[in-house]
Amino acid sequence: MGGCFSGDLQGGKQAIGGVQQRPTSTINNNAAHNDAVDFFFRSRGQFPLFSQIELSLSGSNLIDRDITSKSDPMAVMYLRKKDGKLEEIGRTEVILNNLNPKWIEKITVSFQFEAVQTLVFHVYDVDTRYHNVPVKTLKLKDQDFLGEATCVLSEIMTRPNRSVTLHLTGNFGAGVNRRLGTLLVQAEETIASKTVVEMNFRCINLDNKDLFSKSDPFIRISRIVENSGAVPICRTEVVDNNLNPVYRPVCLTMQQFGSKETPLVIECFDFNSSGNHELIGKTEKSVAELQRLCLQREVANFVYPSMVHDNKVLKGKLIVDRFEEKVQYSFLDYISSGFELNFMVAVDFTASNGDPRNSSSLHYIDPSGRLNSYQQAITEVGEVIQFYDSDRRFPAWGFGGRTSDGQVSHAFNLNGASYGDEVVGIEGIMAAYGNALRNVALAGPTLFSHVVDRAAHIASQSLSTNSPKYFVLLIITDGVLTDMAGTLDALVRASDLPLSVLIVGVGNADFKQMEILDADKGSRLESSTGRIATRDIVQFVPMREIHSGQVSVVQALLEELPGQFLSYVRSRKINPVGAPAV
Amino acid sequence: MSSYSTTMKRSLEIELISAEGLRIDRKPVKKKTFCVVKIDEKRRDSKLDELGGSYPIWNDKIETELPINGSVRYISIEVFYRTSGGCEKSIGYAKIPITDFMGGFAPHGHLNFLSYRLRDEYGDKSGIVNVSIMVKPNGGDNNKYWSSPSSSSTVVAPVDYAKCSSQATVNGQMWRQKASTSSMSGYGGRVVTGVPVGCAYQQS
Repeated sequence: MGGCFSGDLQGGKQAIGGVQQRPTSTINNNAAHNDAVDFFFRSRGQFPLFSQIELSLSGSNLIDRDITSKSDPMAVMYLRKKDGKLEEIGRTEVILNNLNPKWIEKITVSFQFEAVQTLVFHVYDVDTRYHNVPVKTLKLKDQDFLGEATCVLSEIMTRPNRSVTLHLTGNFGAGVNRRLGTLLVQAEETIASKTVVEMNFRCINLDNKDLFSKSDPFIRISRIVENSGAVPICRTEVVDNNLNPVYRPVCLTMQQFGSKETPLVIECFDFNSSGNHELIGKTEKSVAELQRLCLQREVANFVYPSMVHDNKVLKGKLIVDRFEEKVQYSFLDYISSGFELNFMVAVDFTASNGDPRNSSSLHYIDPSGRLNSYQQAITEVGEVIQFYDSDRRFPAWGFGGRTSDGQVSHAFNLNGASYGDEVVGIEGIMAAYGNALRNVALAGPTLFSHVVDRAAHIASQSLSTNSPKYFVLLIITDGVLTDMAGTLDALVRASDLPLSVLIVGVGNADFKQMEILDADKGSRLESSTGRIATRDIVQFVPMREIHSGQVSVVQALLEELPGQFLSYVRSRKINPVGAPAV
Repeated sequence: MSSYSTTMKRSLEIELISAEGLRIDRKPVKKKTFCVVKIDEKRRDSKLDELGGSYPIWNDKIETELPINGSVRYISIEVFYRTSGGCEKSIGYAKIPITDFMGGFAPHGHLNFLSYRLRDEYGDKSGIVNVSIMVKPNGGDNNKYWSSPSSSSTVVAPVDYAKCSSQATVNGQMWRQKASTSSMSGYGGRVVTGVPVGCAYQQS
């Protein structure tokens, strides 16, 4: 904070919403409707008791924590869990020097009808030197707190305009009772739509707003929402010192623009480092009208709104150089078209799990036949994966155990066979596991790299036969890892293959290492040789969260898989089997 | 080494896609940037990105050839910025071992999306560069040494390469297995020499 005028402003100039940096990046807050979970329930005649809700946030009269300029606010949304802990759901972008921010980045949450879902919002002033880093990687304790607000999700959903204004509160020392401003939360149900439009915008003859140089224009697109004005949906990058700017492609989903007939407000601003962006001109066009502009090679005039006279028509014009309507297939489109998901299972046989004869062991063989922690995890997780695996045949391995030949193996066949590692169904995994437990002595160290490499090898074989397959390696472990560097190397090497790694943690160990592998904080995994993971392929699920009822096993397991799958197929422009090329 | 190995070449399609978080002296880059790929002293430049600052997007495709007689083990990628005076200054540099897109997990014709850490002349992190590399699946018979995943030579190599981080002994095994492929022996041996950098780091 402070010194915003002299500091780095780059951070405030990037495009927000609808522009993708890498072809393989996964969608962040705007994660698509998770149809995988839905499908699982529906196929069993159950209907999931939730729907996906998208929240738009805007603040007004926030307090000023910067000395020489205004606050640079960002909002973070949490869900308060049963035990009172806060689970982060999503973050908005940072808006520069603005006490009345309208955040563009939306936050998606699933609305469960039967549960009381308490949402907690924290608003922060983000320090200037963090403006250029992805918001997900920001450490919140380094930022200035601007206040918090709480509400229950159903409270928003039952209002006629589906929005609620909350007063921000905060503890700023004794006797300090300041007005901290308000936070407006607007909710909308997400729609499972496949249409995406990509447009290239250009402007010509924009008015000059700067004294000593030319304007630094950017375009902001907002959708008009009934009863509550306009909600910004996307913003282009800032082109410095240019009255005829050409912008990078803007990609809008139907979720963002509503329908092709919904009027959109397209405003062109002169970027100002004080946060006081000056309006150059605006125009109102629906997506259908933008398409027509492009087809007929017409231009739209910007107008300047005026209170007294009619709106003043400006010389400045908006041109749509390219308009492309695409179909963005969903996870289910791929799966139902015959794209196969293939699961592989690897079970931790390291000594850190405890002696199987000891009842405190995670591998305890209970004479009464009660399931141990691993067996519980296998049956619960197995039910979900065998639903999505078309042939129910799983290669199954163990790692970190001393096999009958006296050697410690980091990828032995669970069924004990020297050739052929496949087992059939949950029963097959359970039988092979029971068998292995009797024949394999728990040892160490805990290395994931061998099973990850074996899985990567299987996944790479499908590439050369060009078969529509995607692989998921399920590692069931107590989470104590000996060789972090080797694991990172293996995961980075496998990150460009049609493969995801799902780590299920049993027991109550410290899962910090697993959280690092699950690169959800926004930083990408890096190998010791300097190669960076192409995409996030790891998801970590602690069983204790499932058993405490905080999240269902289906939801937990399938939370990231659809996104990881889509990042793979979309980056390679792979379509569902038999679908026309887009 | 066999006679034809000195003349063997592969055509590559390299796309210089983008970079993230480019920094000079820990400060974000605000200048115009471009990316350079060098194979065996042959240099190809991307076009200049004028909008992205420290997050440039080039999306520039380059067709080139890679000699595979063992003389080239790395492709180097370097990102530069252009000063207002028109000079080129380096931001950071990355080496791509050719085993990352050839002879490893991916068959020919597979579009490899690869990302690397850029480091400046002092070895400090200066960003991430994203590229894609495709080895064109032509060239007749020679293909089988690289693409067929069923042949043990190509499959075993990457797997063992992984193991070298934890078990030095396996490393030895790998050399023998690689060397057993007659015509590729020289190549296989040399390629792997690039690997122990990481191993040394991990074992220390």
